[in-house]
Amino acid sequence: MTGNDLQSYAPLLLHLTLAMALSGVLVLLSSLVGWRRPSTTKSQPYECGITPTGDAREPFSVKFYLVAMVFILFDVEAIFLYPWAYIFRELRWFGFVEMILYIGILLVGYFYLWKKGALDWNRPAVRRDRAS
Amino acid sequence: MQQTYVLTVLTFLPVAGTLALLLLRSDDHVWIRRLALVTAAAEFAISLLLLRGFSVQATGYQFEEFHEWIQQPPIHYHLGVDGLSLFLVLLTTLLTPVSILASWKSIDQRVKGFFISLLVLETGVIGVFVSLDLFLFFMFWEVMLIPMYFLIGIWGHERRIYAALKFVLYTMFGSILMLVAILWLYRVTAAAGYPTFDIAQIQALLSSGTITLPLRTEILLFGAFFLAFAIKVPLFPLHTWLPDAHTEAPTAGSVMLAGVLLKMGTYGMLRFCLPLFPEASRRFAPEIAVLAIIGIVYGALVSMVQVDLKRLVAYSSVSHLGFVVLGIFAFQAVSIQGAVFQMLSHGISTGALFLGVGMLYDRRHTHLIKEFGGLATPMPVIAALYLFTCFASAGLPMLNGFVGEFLILAGTFQKHAAWASWAALGVIFSAVYLLWSYQRVFFGSITQDKNGALPDADMRERGILFLMAVIMLWMGIGSPFFTRRIETSTQNVLQLMRRPQAYDAGEINNHDMNAMDMDQSTMPVNSANSAAPAGAAGSVKSR
Amino acid sequence: MSLPLQDLCRVAPEIVLCAFAMLVMLLAPIVPRARHGILSTISVLGAGIALAATRFPAMYPGAAYSGLFRADAFSLFVHWIVCGAAFLVILGSTSYLQREDLDAGEFCALILLATAGMGIMAGAQELLTAFIGLEMSSIASYILASYKRDAPRSNEAGMKYFLLGSFATAFFLYGIALFFGASGSTRLDMMTPLANDSARTLLKMGLGFIFVGLAFKVAAAPFHLWAPDVYEGAPAPVTALLSTGPKAATFALALRILADVGAASPLWFWALWVAAVLSMFAGNLAALVQTSLKRMLAYSSVAHAGYILVALATAAATDHAEAGIAAALFYLVGYALVQLGAFLIVAQLGGPGERHVEIEDFAGVARRQPAMAACLSLFLLSLLGLPVTVGFLGKFYVFNAALESNLIWLAILLGLNSVIAAYYYLRVIVAMYMLREPEQEIAAEPVPWTLSLVLWIASMGTVYIGLFPARVIGFAAKAALNMR
Repeated sequence: MTGNDLQSYAPLLLHLTLAMALSGVLVLLSSLVGWRRPSTTKSQPYECGITPTGDAREPFSVKFYLVAMVFILFDVEAIFLYPWAYIFRELRWFGFVEMILYIGILLVGYFYLWKKGALDWNRPAVRRDRAS
Repeated sequence: MQQTYVLTVLTFLPVAGTLALLLLRSDDHVWIRRLALVTAAAEFAISLLLLRGFSVQATGYQFEEFHEWIQQPPIHYHLGVDGLSLFLVLLTTLLTPVSILASWKSIDQRVKGFFISLLVLETGVIGVFVSLDLFLFFMFWEVMLIPMYFLIGIWGHERRIYAALKFVLYTMFGSILMLVAILWLYRVTAAAGYPTFDIAQIQALLSSGTITLPLRTEILLFGAFFLAFAIKVPLFPLHTWLPDAHTEAPTAGSVMLAGVLLKMGTYGMLRFCLPLFPEASRRFAPEIAVLAIIGIVYGALVSMVQVDLKRLVAYSSVSHLGFVVLGIFAFQAVSIQGAVFQMLSHGISTGALFLGVGMLYDRRHTHLIKEFGGLATPMPVIAALYLFTCFASAGLPMLNGFVGEFLILAGTFQKHAAWASWAALGVIFSAVYLLWSYQRVFFGSITQDKNGALPDADMRERGILFLMAVIMLWMGIGSPFFTRRIETSTQNVLQLMRRPQAYDAGEINNHDMNAMDMDQSTMPVNSANSAAPAGAAGSVKSR
Repeated sequence: MSLPLQDLCRVAPEIVLCAFAMLVMLLAPIVPRARHGILSTISVLGAGIALAATRFPAMYPGAAYSGLFRADAFSLFVHWIVCGAAFLVILGSTSYLQREDLDAGEFCALILLATAGMGIMAGAQELLTAFIGLEMSSIASYILASYKRDAPRSNEAGMKYFLLGSFATAFFLYGIALFFGASGSTRLDMMTPLANDSARTLLKMGLGFIFVGLAFKVAAAPFHLWAPDVYEGAPAPVTALLSTGPKAATFALALRILADVGAASPLWFWALWVAAVLSMFAGNLAALVQTSLKRMLAYSSVAHAGYILVALATAAATDHAEAGIAAALFYLVGYALVQLGAFLIVAQLGGPGERHVEIEDFAGVARRQPAMAACLSLFLLSLLGLPVTVGFLGKFYVFNAALESNLIWLAILLGLNSVIAAYYYLRVIVAMYMLREPEQEIAAEPVPWTLSLVLWIASMGTVYIGLFPARVIGFAAKAALNMR
């Protein structure tokens, strides 16, 4: 980097400005010039051609969130396997032990989830039986 | 140096007593009282050893103890007494058992806590008087706040919480500045390569010229120390906490507060302000003297108009302590001796006044003068001894108050005739308010029926008051016993005030002084300082 | 590649903490709820072993994992504080958890994990490692703050803490990025000479953002606004942890940055100065008018952050920063002991559901529970800075350091604030000892022995270090010297 190194970002800034201007102009133009003839069918949300039923703004069961979070957690952790696999041979036994440990820790988490009932759809998950 | 542990024992025996008290059941009031009294009496007995072993001629500190305590920064456990502190320690050890006796019956709630507070207070106060390390001194100085806070706040009268908070906040405000000043002083010594908190060492460094304080620094440091002490004394106009604290405190609290706690302020001035910051002391002496005189006259005048007997005695402390400050800042050997003597004498006689007021309160649960009247008939013993105390406090010759006031006025007069003559007003006023209040309380006819049948002093109360009366008489007649022991140390303070570079000028100062009047008393300071670069600027400013 | 045994030794406390956290989480679903006490026991044991495991980094000082982490006297000292705090909090909260019917397993595991994060912060010598530590402790703290799920207050606390905390984290992360951009490394000790002015600008911005992030975490004004709500709403033992451990770790990180990054001192000095003054005044003045003891202690903890910032400012002011760093460390020890004790007492005396945490609820505590009243008074007096307590010496060393760096005004403002603080601390003592008891009797619950033990340790420590600080301050000074 020479001189004022922020200058090297100038093309990026230009790009950003242009992109924003272009999209802005397009949206604006189409709303100004375009025809508009709304009908019931047209203003329905598009759901792959199937006729929609009911309101989309319904509360989801909190279990979905739980599953989603668990999925993301384990998914993200699995990503770490890829770089490890790349240099697996160089790391040799050390790498192997490390990964076993890592997976062991993940398993502890898995076991915890399992026992707590987070994977059990039908049972009220992670609820304390206070009523009894 | 022969190693002794008298002072350590003296300082921490009360704490040991409180630990023993903690072991007792809290509803076992009789034994709690007895144990507290035994502790305090033992303490007094040990302090008498101090008196016996005290050498009259020796300069410097006696019974010194010196141990490493904290290495970084170098703080030492350094104890010692000299003529300034000896009798203050004795006063403390005397007044504590007296206070315990005085609260024998009047304290019946939370007895254990009360005596624990009282004993911890004793430790704190003795610690202040005997510690020779600035850090140690400050520690005791602050520690003493807590028991006093509880004494006023728990066992006090109606507005006790307000008074207790006010007392603590005032004192803390002053002392926190003092802490900054102490650390500043330490930094000065550290910068010179001799980091120390030890008073003797700092004095040695100062008088040998190893460290010098620029005048500005010295004034700031002096200001911080002086403010802390002035709040404690209390010097007008910082006295407003005193009437509240004294009035609301239980009898024992008032006795300790007036008897010894106020003396911590004047003791601090003598121990720190004068020897450590002589230039600043000289420079501000006139202003301080004026404040002291205002305090003397104002305290006396306000006393006169009080309707509350305890408040009257409280304001009289403002007046009497004004004398002490005046004596100290006259910088005369005689007046400083008088100041030290007056501290003791005020401790005894005001303590006795509070005891008397407390006895009245125990009987009638009020301090209002108008509620009393004609009490001499039902209680002749209390009346007689109270009158004796009033005489002592008002400065009747042959009694203790006279000696102190006389020495102070005589010493001050040598140099500042005007100061002395104003202050003398206070002597007259004190006779007025004390005797007038005495007359309204004890003489005349019995105005309230309740007062007719009040019991006179029982054996315990007679004992306390009689003891105090004997001491007052002894201090009045046998004053040389005290002054001889004080003398060396006061000379020492004045000696320390002469710094090497100021020495010659100081001589001129004394010489010229007789011809000059009070306004120009700052003059010599400038000439004394002319050796230092700041001197020239200083002398220009003062014109 | 062989096993990096020495590196493992250098992070031994963290390994122990994480291992025990996992163990507790493994056991939590298996052990029946009635016997959850055993989880607390295991966790206490874990914190204790972690404390003991600090022997290992002490034996092998030096940089670990290619300079990401550093085991030295400084990190050791902070480890003691955070592990000790965790130990005391877990031990002191066992009875609380039973009383409030909360799961002990996750609670203890989260505390252990948070502590591991704080340990990482204390030893981090690289900003991303520090970030991981910060996040570990923060995320655990968010959950802990809202641990009482049924209480709206606790939920609110967790939410606020989470939102503002992630905001602060974002600042911190952005600062790291800029720092990296300027210096070409996230290693604190690997600062390359700056290429040019723009790099200097980047570094300044980066350090500025990092400062903001850290100031959020220690609840220093003007970034303290979350603290009162969170401290008040969170379960009291959690507050005890929040106001001690993370603070100590964050200050440790700030000190590490000050010591390692030469450019930080001149940049941060005024920021520290201003933040110190603002925190002291904001904390103390707001604490004056509080009616809830918990909230008052929260504001007072803001003020104490200000006092520690004074020490940091003195460390930033001069080349010989040792006095300031040592003062800050010593202060943190004393503060942690006392603050922990105070909040645990509040947790106990508050009664079921922590309903009695108003100051007036403490009227007559001295009669009902004299030992608790005495302990709380001791802690408050230490917070106030009266002698014979560790709080006094802490202030003393901060004063000393401030004067050594010629920050006289800061010292005087600190003094002034101590006097303001006296008023509200004493008000609690007034309530406990001097006010009449309320009409309806609040039943005096028996104090469980675990809590007694914790309070005993805390109060003995307060007095002992207050009288004989030599070893603690000696080690703090060594730690400070060691950082250079």
